[in-house]
Amino acid sequence: MNRRLIVSLLLAAACLQGQAKLPPFTKQTLPNGATLILLKKPDVPLVSVRAIFRGGVEAESANLSGIAAVTAELVRRGTPTRTSDQVSLDVDSIGATLLGGSDRQASFLATEYMARTQDRALEIFSDVLLHPSFPEPEVKKVLAQAADRLRSIKDNPGAAIGRYFEAFYYPASHPYHRSGSVTEESLTRLTRDEILAFHKKNYTGKNLILIAAGDFDPAKLGPALVKIVSELPAGSEFQPAKVAAPKFDSARLLLVDKPDATQTYFRIAMPGIERTSRDRVPLMVINTLFGGRFTSMLNDALRVNSGLTYGAGCVVEQDRHTGSIFISTYTRTDTTQKAIDMALEVLKKLSEQGIDAAQLASAKAYIKGGFPTQRLETADQLANVLGDLELYGLNKGEIDDYFSRIDAVSLEEANTIARKYFREVNLQFCLLGNASKIQDSVRKYAPKMKVLAIKDAGFEPPAF
Amino acid sequence: MRRLLSLCALLAYPLAAQDVKVTTHTLDNGMKILIHEDHDVPNVALYFFYKIGSRNERPGTTGISHFFEHMMFNGAKKFGPKEFDNMMEKNGGSNNAYTSRDVTVYTDWFPKSALELMFDMESDRIRDLSFDPKIIQSERGVVYSERRTSVDNNPFGVLYEQLFASAIIAHPYHWPVVGWASDIEAWTMDDLKAHFKMGYAPNNCVMVASGDVTPDEIIALAKKYIEPIPRQAPPPEVRTKEPDQLGERRISVRRPAQLPMLMMAYHVPNTRDADQPALDLIEALLTTGRSSRLYRRLVEKDQLVLNVGGGTQESLDPSLFLFTMQVRSGKTSAEVEKALYEELDQLASKGVTAEELDKARNQILAQFYRGLKTIAGKANLLGRYEVFNGSWDKVNSVASELDAVKPADIQRVAAKYFQEKNRTVATLIPDNAPAQESSK
Repeated sequence: MNRRLIVSLLLAAACLQGQAKLPPFTKQTLPNGATLILLKKPDVPLVSVRAIFRGGVEAESANLSGIAAVTAELVRRGTPTRTSDQVSLDVDSIGATLLGGSDRQASFLATEYMARTQDRALEIFSDVLLHPSFPEPEVKKVLAQAADRLRSIKDNPGAAIGRYFEAFYYPASHPYHRSGSVTEESLTRLTRDEILAFHKKNYTGKNLILIAAGDFDPAKLGPALVKIVSELPAGSEFQPAKVAAPKFDSARLLLVDKPDATQTYFRIAMPGIERTSRDRVPLMVINTLFGGRFTSMLNDALRVNSGLTYGAGCVVEQDRHTGSIFISTYTRTDTTQKAIDMALEVLKKLSEQGIDAAQLASAKAYIKGGFPTQRLETADQLANVLGDLELYGLNKGEIDDYFSRIDAVSLEEANTIARKYFREVNLQFCLLGNASKIQDSVRKYAPKMKVLAIKDAGFEPPAF
Repeated sequence: MRRLLSLCALLAYPLAAQDVKVTTHTLDNGMKILIHEDHDVPNVALYFFYKIGSRNERPGTTGISHFFEHMMFNGAKKFGPKEFDNMMEKNGGSNNAYTSRDVTVYTDWFPKSALELMFDMESDRIRDLSFDPKIIQSERGVVYSERRTSVDNNPFGVLYEQLFASAIIAHPYHWPVVGWASDIEAWTMDDLKAHFKMGYAPNNCVMVASGDVTPDEIIALAKKYIEPIPRQAPPPEVRTKEPDQLGERRISVRRPAQLPMLMMAYHVPNTRDADQPALDLIEALLTTGRSSRLYRRLVEKDQLVLNVGGGTQESLDPSLFLFTMQVRSGKTSAEVEKALYEELDQLASKGVTAEELDKARNQILAQFYRGLKTIAGKANLLGRYEVFNGSWDKVNSVASELDAVKPADIQRVAAKYFQEKNRTVATLIPDNAPAQESSK
């Protein structure tokens, strides 16, 4: 039992002594367009290698929702010389890990291995990276597993509400809506040909960012990775679609009915930023105070002062396209209205009164204090940071000047940002709980309200 | 196969060249301190392991150790309500804490500049914790919310709780760490004060400092802030021993759910038992990685479950070897059970090859390395080894202890514990009839 859930609410974070800096690394572009980044960090005898392909969920076409995740899982399930079981056996035999996955911006294949097993680990990694064969029985198996995984999500309300929220907040035309349009049934309709085509189009040299971080000799690992990566066809480069940010002309409320729930999970959302926004740093400072740490205004009101919940916070989504800012918490069924009212009160107070100089100083120290251990301590953290910089076209100043940009946020700027984003206007409410007990009391929050049963397939909300 | 063998030989003692170095010191009041220097980042992880958990509770006050963990953040004499967190965050730090059946652990992460402040605040709350009835009432609501989240609205949580309560009938591991709902509602101020006095003595605590520190500065601060706190009688010995199980036990939980779930438990000894390294290897052989026996059989070949986990948990007293599985749609728990028993029988009757055992060893060692990547990981590992294995320095003999386990040991240990009469089976059966009004 933890005192609090460990959730990475924010890119929070470093040292009061001075600016945190990225360790030295090298970066080169190969003839097929791939980017190769090497960062040596020899304190633990492990190496983290990850291949990141631009695209991810954003690269899915609307009728093939879920294909990015399924493809990423299938990459490691067989090559012309290894069955899926053999890949697993070879990976486990050297104590390595191998994981394929996808998010909104990218698909990835990542391995972490003990330094002295490098030759063997690279041989396995390159085989699955370059020669996935997508055997038909594995395709069927993965699709059926993915469908059951969707079903099991609905048994965990804390996870399920995330899916419902994305489908509700983002309109059907928006790529971030996709997770909601996947259903248990639509997944099983995907075909091997569609998966092969998705792979061919997206897992290309031009889309690849390959990062190695850890305990290695760059003179040896660099050429080995160049050789592997060079075998990928250049292909075409992923072009993000032009997507309009979601706009709302009235408050809306989606209530997902789970009749056996003894507490209500809810999110209250408003428009936010894209990852590269100039407002990002001051917004993170404000959100640290509003809902990004234990002593935040939301957690203080809903947990510490009133005992209504185990935890309350606010998340600023940071992706390529403009995302949301959402308050997130849960409370027992009969205190649903009280908790929502209180969250709204805290929001109103921030937008009307802003913050003071002492709060600003505290937030800055908090973000900087945790930064080294959250983002720069391990090889895989560093690989993540480097991958993000590359994906969003940022330079290393993003990290190396981070502290000075935090320090530069003035009280006036912080309060301007607070008023700009934290507004009680056309809020979007997503609730999951026992509808028969709460629907009358929550109707007041939005002129448009819809109820959806959790037992219905998928996560798609009714039309508003 | 030769290539694999030679590779494993190469890996035989990967930790030997990389011993974790620790300076130890024991204060006059009995608190043991472990200090590990790592100047890679300018931060510190400071962990306090109090040897008190739900095993030290009794019926009526179940969950009070965990509740107490929450109360430790609600104000003391010098630093009042909210000040621990406010001061910490304003100085760039953050914290958490956890309670298990055996220990309550406080975890502080902060930039080095906050080091003395942390000693000041930690000593304040160990010495002079406040008990404000209003705050206690509010925190009761928080803990109840935690229980609703982790148990009542979570199929895994509810089945896990029922399994422990059925497999262990006499020893205090019977009840959940978070406590029974009626106890959360009922414990009193006197219960809390008695619990504080019982568990929160310096001589009942191990402190671990890992990160950008030197032994001299940690010892000096500990002498200044913590050494003056007097020692107290340690918690009374837990006398009850779990009697041998006399036959298989089966329980079921019916609740609305999309998919069934299955858990199984076998009684096993505590962490310090000589069989533990073999049990660790059995855990890796059966459930670690996609090539593990149960993953291959249940997830990939028979496609009966979505996932399979299992193994022992660190414990001061004999506990359980668990298996947990999310059953696939259209499959039954009975089918899963049958396949799982076949695999366990196979391990006990046919054993393992040297190659497969080497694979398990490599997986455990690599996992061990992953625990050493962060100052927080190292603080946690050192404290756990000190409390559960008897000494922190056993972290440096993990490889040799695993190496001493032979294929015959795996077979012997599997046969000894994976017996029908030593087993408890818990199934979650989806019951999707309309909800009853009686739900909480």
